[in-house]
Amino acid sequence: MRKKQTRARTVCAAISLVALACLGLAAGAAAKLTGEFTRFAQCPYTNAEVRRCLYSTTEGGTVVLGNKTVTITSPAVLQGGYGPVGEDEFATKFFAAKNGITLSKAPQSVPGGLLGIVPPEKSPPLVKALSAFFFENALTGVNSTLELAKPASAIRISENHLAEEFDIALEMPVQIHLENPFLGKNCLVGSSSAPIPLKLTTGTTAPPLPNKPIKGKAGELELLEEGTILKLKGTELMDNSWAAPSASGCGGILSFLVNPIINAQVGLPSAAGKNTAILKNTLYESPAIAVKTNDETHP
Amino acid sequence: MKSSKATRMLLRGIFAALMLSAVFAASAGASPAWKFEGKALEGKETVVGAAIDSSLTIPGLTTKCENFLYKLTIENVSETGKGSVTELPLYNCTTDTKNCTVKSIAAEALPWAVQAKLISSTNYIVIEGVKVAILYAGELCALGGTLARVTGTAGGRIDNTAETATFDKASFAATGTALKALGSTIEWNGVFPTEAFEGHRLQALTVS
Repeated sequence: MRKKQTRARTVCAAISLVALACLGLAAGAAAKLTGEFTRFAQCPYTNAEVRRCLYSTTEGGTVVLGNKTVTITSPAVLQGGYGPVGEDEFATKFFAAKNGITLSKAPQSVPGGLLGIVPPEKSPPLVKALSAFFFENALTGVNSTLELAKPASAIRISENHLAEEFDIALEMPVQIHLENPFLGKNCLVGSSSAPIPLKLTTGTTAPPLPNKPIKGKAGELELLEEGTILKLKGTELMDNSWAAPSASGCGGILSFLVNPIINAQVGLPSAAGKNTAILKNTLYESPAIAVKTNDETHP
Repeated sequence: MKSSKATRMLLRGIFAALMLSAVFAASAGASPAWKFEGKALEGKETVVGAAIDSSLTIPGLTTKCENFLYKLTIENVSETGKGSVTELPLYNCTTDTKNCTVKSIAAEALPWAVQAKLISSTNYIVIEGVKVAILYAGELCALGGTLARVTGTAGGRIDNTAETATFDKASFAATGTALKALGSTIEWNGVFPTEAFEGHRLQALTVS
């Protein structure tokens, strides 16, 4: 009897020890970033190839896709790290966020939803509210989400172009995910094999007609944490030269029927010069070694 | 009788309008001249000096140079004070953060055109085409390895009594000038003494 009790106590003690050890290890592995550095928790700053960390929030803007204009109301985050600058003034390689969410999924409501019914701009607020209630609800409403169509390594960034407001600052292969219970899970405009290559600039665009040149903005520069973090507020990235392919995978097994309806409703495929992406951001950058130093000095 | 009254009123109106125009012209940027001991400068003169205090500020990072020298050639063209900054050697520059150092700093695209201006009864010096390249360094510095080009137009307030030109937020606002670096507006604060170096050495330089 006593032997059994002793064995039980030993097992319990061992389990407690293992549990405590696990907790200790977990705490040790967690990032200990402080202050403004906490933003870079998902930057792979311990990777020796990573020179800089990026955390950029798109807080506003618009995406014109065919004949639909979507206002960005739900913030999206682009984060990760990148390597040294090459001769072409672009970072040699972009590294994915540690948690795999390099570009966060931020669904944006498509005006008029599935039925495409949008009240005129001058309509009274009550009409607008009723229209949104009936046509942009969980059943008939459509959300569009900008997603990375390729691995994070396909992202190209040039700090110099971004700050000096010329040429391409950020290149991202994206797809636009249209979501609604009727459209299924794979209703996409663009894909990993044929992505929409967004080439965003803070300078002036040179789109084909009917679009006209639009001007971006580098934003207002501020240095934080003793000069170790660069913040750009009010950065406006633009591209109105991209083409959008037809939608695919809409409606699951009925896609052969639903795809043409979505294409007609959105106006797809939409040639270059008819689509626009305006992304309004607040951007933070820091040398990876500064993030690592902050981590190591705050155990 | 009626017509002569109307003519008088019209003439009075025209006179008032002319007076107003003259006042506005004077306050909206009339051009004062360079003067030595109260006498308008004839020919050219070279003004050389070193900043009493000068700093460039991007929010969060201020850059100062121990030696901020300048050489300015001045002349009056059609009774207007004009000139050009021909040299601007900058040495021993540092920042106010321990992480960022100044690897190199140099004025580019010299000479920069200069003009004296009278705005709201205050004399200003306006320097056009300013271009200074600053290369920051430091492995922890967010601007490490970044070449920041300060460009734009700078307006400084002239103090005839102290014989100085002061560049600050107020002088930039009054002259409608701005300097930019890395896409952002930056602040330049500086006080520069104005001392002639050639024929008018030790003579008081004023602008009026």
